[in-house]
Amino acid sequence: MFNEINKSIDAAISSGAQYADARILISKSRDISSKDGELEDFSNSENMGLGIRALVGSSWGFYATYDLSDESLKEAGKKAYLIAKASSKVPGKDFPLADVPIVKDEYVTPHEQNPFKVSTTDQIDLIVSSTHEMKKIGSSRAFGRLNFWDTEKWFASSQGHEIYQNIIESGGGISSLSIGDGETQIRSYPQSFGEYRTGGWEVIQSFKFLDHVERISEESKRLLTSPQCPEGTRDLILEGSQLALQIHESVGHAIELDRILGWEAAYAGTSHLELSKLNEHKYGSPLMNVVADATLPGALATFKYDDEGTPAQRVDIVKEGIWTGVLTGRDSAAIAGVNPGGMVRADGYGRLPMVRMTNVGLLPGDSSLDEIISSTDDGVYMETNRSWSIDDLRLNFQFGCEVGWLVKNGKITDMVKNPTYTGITPNFWGSMDMLAGEDEWVFWGTPNCGKGQPSQIGHTGHPASPARFKNVRIGVRG
Amino acid sequence: MKIWDNLIDDVGKLIPAGVECEIKMINSTESLTRFANSHIHQNVEEELTDIFLTFHADGKTTNLNLNITSMGSIEDIIKKALSEIGNNPKDSTWPGLTSKENSFNGYKDISPDDPDIRAQKVKEFIEEGQTYNGAGYCSSNVSNVFVWNTNGLNSSDTATSAFLDGIFRSETSAGSSHIGNQILSDIDAQKVGQEAFSITKESQNPEDIDPGVYEVILGPDAVSTILVFLSVYGFNAKSKVDGTSPIEINVEQFDEKINLEDDPHKDGALNFKIDASGAPKKKIEIITNGIPKNYFHTRRTSNELNQSNTFHEMFGWGDSFGGLGTNLYLKPGDISKEEMISNVKKGIYINEFWYCRVLDPITQVVTGLNRNGSYLIENGKVTKPVGRLRFTQSFMSSLGQGNVLGVGSDSRFADSEFGEGILNVPMLHLKEFNFTGGVSG
Repeated sequence: MFNEINKSIDAAISSGAQYADARILISKSRDISSKDGELEDFSNSENMGLGIRALVGSSWGFYATYDLSDESLKEAGKKAYLIAKASSKVPGKDFPLADVPIVKDEYVTPHEQNPFKVSTTDQIDLIVSSTHEMKKIGSSRAFGRLNFWDTEKWFASSQGHEIYQNIIESGGGISSLSIGDGETQIRSYPQSFGEYRTGGWEVIQSFKFLDHVERISEESKRLLTSPQCPEGTRDLILEGSQLALQIHESVGHAIELDRILGWEAAYAGTSHLELSKLNEHKYGSPLMNVVADATLPGALATFKYDDEGTPAQRVDIVKEGIWTGVLTGRDSAAIAGVNPGGMVRADGYGRLPMVRMTNVGLLPGDSSLDEIISSTDDGVYMETNRSWSIDDLRLNFQFGCEVGWLVKNGKITDMVKNPTYTGITPNFWGSMDMLAGEDEWVFWGTPNCGKGQPSQIGHTGHPASPARFKNVRIGVRG
Repeated sequence: MKIWDNLIDDVGKLIPAGVECEIKMINSTESLTRFANSHIHQNVEEELTDIFLTFHADGKTTNLNLNITSMGSIEDIIKKALSEIGNNPKDSTWPGLTSKENSFNGYKDISPDDPDIRAQKVKEFIEEGQTYNGAGYCSSNVSNVFVWNTNGLNSSDTATSAFLDGIFRSETSAGSSHIGNQILSDIDAQKVGQEAFSITKESQNPEDIDPGVYEVILGPDAVSTILVFLSVYGFNAKSKVDGTSPIEINVEQFDEKINLEDDPHKDGALNFKIDASGAPKKKIEIITNGIPKNYFHTRRTSNELNQSNTFHEMFGWGDSFGGLGTNLYLKPGDISKEEMISNVKKGIYINEFWYCRVLDPITQVVTGLNRNGSYLIENGKVTKPVGRLRFTQSFMSSLGQGNVLGVGSDSRFADSEFGEGILNVPMLHLKEFNFTGGVSG
């Protein structure tokens, strides 16, 4: 396959590009969705193609094609060059690419059972029986879904990279929806929109959906008659998956160097962070230690090389509350004068690689959820995301969760519905005063991160354990 | 198109009797030139041919999505699909295939635009920004869709679209503008640039104002976001089937000034005239004088709700999504922007919403923020630019009876939280809109 890719790269370089790299992908996916004990959708997908990018002056030109004939591959290289060259009508400053090791290597995601080799009957039965059970015990609607991806990538560059990777990802989830008088309430497991990891069918088996159907069905029904989450300023305790999304939105996106440099200004936005304040800016409390680690076994954004051929690595992002690191690509790292972190990926062969979160996680503390609750006099414990919104500087956020639990004098008392909280990023993270430990540290995965134009969907990981935040505004409603 | 003709010729010969089969193909070239810090930094083009096969046999259904390169032998694909279909449970809501009589031939052989034309549009936009920092994109797309089935249906259509979307940023402000057209060369980049420039200039040094309930004027992109949310979560018949839609047909739910229709045959419409079942779309009323008239149906939802199909199946989306109108027009009124502002005693002009998310689908309470141009209006005049505000507001109530004070006279294709080109809308003047937070939280 590398011979094929190099035909394209050679055509781009001989046309005049100063650098070119390309990927051929064979991407398989399977989507299974179920509603109320019926199979709603069963789809297998497979596509194959090449995407090549060429650097000319200050712009990337990118061309993608499904046609892998010799003639088409060469033409793709020329087109990538010509597209980049067209940008010279509105040029910027030429930039170099940060140096990375030039490697020839292979990697396959460690897994026990390739999900595409498992009986589809077993997969369908698991998700259909889960929704059937929830419906049987009274959920107004019971939803379930499974998703699997098996992506083979061949990456080569004009500098000599030749890397083959086979990334296998699996995930899914179940939800119980209860419909009341002018309202709906939902409970999901393992988290809203499902939980996703690298690995095979064993990932799904570890979730044990059927052990949770009764609880989420009962909780969704009980929420209909529960009181509203009170408004006010209280201590907030977040369950791990909600904290994972908080990390994603208020840390992960803010530290993307392409945003900080203004490359995403018109769409995803920029960042409240200024590079001149790296290693000085106070991001949060001393309990806050965040790393971007693409080497964590089993986490969703784990690989060996990114889509620029840069090795996966662990990078400190926040140390004891001080901002210390950014997410980079070879171009942005060179411009900003920082090390390339291996954080560039693309959504399939047809999209230009861009800075993407790897496993951006909050390192565990030394407490536990039980200790956090027992030491809280007046607070709300919120579980499982229901809505999320943050401004384009990644400062002003508001999240809604599926369920809230009042905590009074060290004990969980009443269930409350429609819990929300709002805040400003550095104030919020500065108020974190308790953090659960390694036993409750879970590699939460987000399979639906939108960024870029044309739009790309990214798979990101966010290890997190439950934590407490002091004096947070909760209970905002329309 | 040769690829399509060969494909359906092969499949037609290989499908065993008694098996229902539907094939869809999307063949497109999508090109986008992206700029930031006032220069082009990313410039991309993708050529794709994706094929979607559905087989139904013995009451069971399976779907297979492939691109042309990964297909290999079509004979092997059919054999594999039919051997695996037995693993699936019965498909109790199988709606059948579209009949042969619905065949529609709209395919046109159109070449993609040259990247130099997009670069020229970007240049013209940026020049309007003078010293401001410009960012955005110029895109152009040619899309062909094809549908064939064992009933003998063979439909096709072609759509072209081009968009210019950009912002300028000063030290303290940003202003955006957006335009869409069928033809790239007809995009007026200077006009878009001038609008973004003037918003940026007028939005400098914004002041914080207290959250609360305000009268608002919403620019087309903000209006478009409200309507796209109501479309996806409300008028999409799948949400009605699932019990989460707030929309009730023939019930007075919106202000009588709201009139929304889906019209793929309107001059300049940007999307297909057939849906993914292969049937031709018709002009239909969605909201008439504030009264919902139709959901967006697929074959399955029309069966499940026992209502007429409106042919809104989406290419590339599965049955779990449902249907969506993609040529939506909100009827303009007769009030200019200046008149609208002069009618406001104390309110806020919002150019664009950002990061809107639903708190509860059935009430359509949504939270989000403003960006790229917001001003305080007092006694009929713009008095100062305002900073970031967070709203938490029911989108149903925002267009509810008595809450729409005016509808603008000029409309355009607008951007929205869920994409561009599907809504053509004017500005709206609303009586109440609930802002629940400011810059400080």
